[in-house]
Amino acid sequence: MKTINIASTEKSPKVLFDPKKYIFEMEGNSRPENVRDFFYPIIDTLRDFFEEISPEKKFTDNETAFNFNFKLEYFNSASAKFISDILVIIKNGNDKGLNMKVNWYFDDGDDDMKEVGEDFSEMITFPFSFIMMQR
Amino acid sequence: MKKYEIIINHKGMINLEVIDDILLKLKNYLQEKQIELVIRKRVYTLAVECLDNIYKHADHTNHISEIISEYPPRFIIEKIYDDFQINTGNIILDINKVKINDKLENLNKLTLDDITILYKKSLTNAEISDKGGAGLGLIVMAKITTQKIKYDFQKINDKFFYFAMQLTIKK
Repeated sequence: MKTINIASTEKSPKVLFDPKKYIFEMEGNSRPENVRDFFYPIIDTLRDFFEEISPEKKFTDNETAFNFNFKLEYFNSASAKFISDILVIIKNGNDKGLNMKVNWYFDDGDDDMKEVGEDFSEMITFPFSFIMMQR
Repeated sequence: MKKYEIIINHKGMINLEVIDDILLKLKNYLQEKQIELVIRKRVYTLAVECLDNIYKHADHTNHISEIISEYPPRFIIEKIYDDFQINTGNIILDINKVKINDKLENLNKLTLDDITILYKKSLTNAEISDKGGAGLGLIVMAKITTQKIKYDFQKINDKFFYFAMQLTIKK
């Protein structure tokens, strides 16, 4: 089972994917120099994992949701494209019966980041939980 | 409060190192001046998209250094009372002029709701180019500025134009 653990930099976010803990997390800024090199392996790993799980098997514990936590401060337009690709994988997983949950975090006062999340949610027709953070 | 302030005034080549320097300087300014979070992030986002756009056009012009010295890339951020203004300038190939002009003309005609619809549609269909662009930059700019985008093309010769653009962020 493939996991992802990428530390954040000034230009790229922290990315964590731990299927055993039912968690995917992306946190920080995203304007990587080579956006394709950064995101393709992440997308491939997620796609492989969620395509391989059969809907009957779901996760080991059917009550548990797979949590996708987006705690982004800033991302550029090219990153937005890849984030939308990740969200489509989540939506597809949900459509085949997997219990998926998207938690979209935004800073208190950052209405634009909340709105971006709402746009994504409408775009993939999948409800998000919106969580305001105090810093 | 100062009525007018130049925050960034860059004239010359724009590469990844220059972009990082400009963005760091901008980030520090916005934090030091305790600019409201939403405005701070809008200015920063527009700066990134503008610099990205200029940088991605740079390789078209590597072989025309004599034109660049006369028409260098420009990136200026000013604060006028509570508003911010970003001015950019860069050389573009004549074949791109019509494309950029059509995109901007169309964006300036749309309402903010229409721009959001276009953004969502474009995000779904976007493909990442070899240069790492998603072709979404101008749409994102129109979405964030919430103002009409001002722009101009100055003819340099048969092959090149100087493309100038002005974005405003109002409080």
